[in-house]
Amino acid sequence: MKPAEVSTPSDREVLVKRSFDAPVDLVWQAYTDPALMRRWLTAMPGWSMPVCEMTTDVGGKYRWRWRNDENDQEFGFTGEMLEVALHSKIVHTQIFDPGNLGGSMGGEPSIITVTFNETDGITAVATSIKFASQADRDAAISTGMTDGMEMSYKQLDEVLAG
Amino acid sequence: MQPFGCILALVDMKRDVFQAIADPTRRAIIALIAVQAMTPNALAQHFDSTRQAVSKHLRILTECEIVTQEQKGREIYYRLEIDKMKEIDEWLEQYRKIWESRFEQLGEVLEVMKNDQRTKKKK
Repeated sequence: MKPAEVSTPSDREVLVKRSFDAPVDLVWQAYTDPALMRRWLTAMPGWSMPVCEMTTDVGGKYRWRWRNDENDQEFGFTGEMLEVALHSKIVHTQIFDPGNLGGSMGGEPSIITVTFNETDGITAVATSIKFASQADRDAAISTGMTDGMEMSYKQLDEVLAG
Repeated sequence: MQPFGCILALVDMKRDVFQAIADPTRRAIIALIAVQAMTPNALAQHFDSTRQAVSKHLRILTECEIVTQEQKGREIYYRLEIDKMKEIDEWLEQYRKIWESRFEQLGEVLEVMKNDQRTKKKK
């Protein structure tokens, strides 16, 4: 499959596109079943995902939390499901949960829209991240530049290299 | 889903640069002056918008240090700062890599799921 494409359609939006060699029902499952989500959302070395609560009920809340088992640091994301169309679309809010890691990504939740489109067994997934304001987007991007952030550039490099 | 906002957050970026390239007119201006330095008047001829609107975009691009001004006689020419554009490319590339490493993992999970499904069907 072709690697992910990233674009910036507006000044508070980032769009990520990627296709997968699998039918949409499997991709949907991998995006919504916590046991499966854990298998691809915990790729950072040294980090586990102790909390992975997911729902596909509109109005329902989800909660994801990561943990660095070496130094007990935690952070996560929480939010509410705004729209769910089986095998087609998930829209949810997202708020950064700083845990004991610190930092902030702005007060207002961002809106995440994930769409799934299957053609001949290939599923195209488009993820749009829309920040509440430009200021929030800037906050999201500059978080982690703060002193409280333990995860270093070196680790980032390792993640990127891996 | 944006589970790795935290890593994304580590990526240093002049925040205004992002804003600068998000606008389609500004992207068009960048494309034009990438070829050669141009005056605001010459640039305005390429757009339906007013000279004032083009000047506003140029001001934003200048503030983000994507373009620089150069006085030649009575005219001001705007030129592209290639290094700055590279910085943007690099930032987007890092962001893309973060996502791609997630997606590669997802791709592997999907392969396992497909195999499981086939095995079940056989039984």
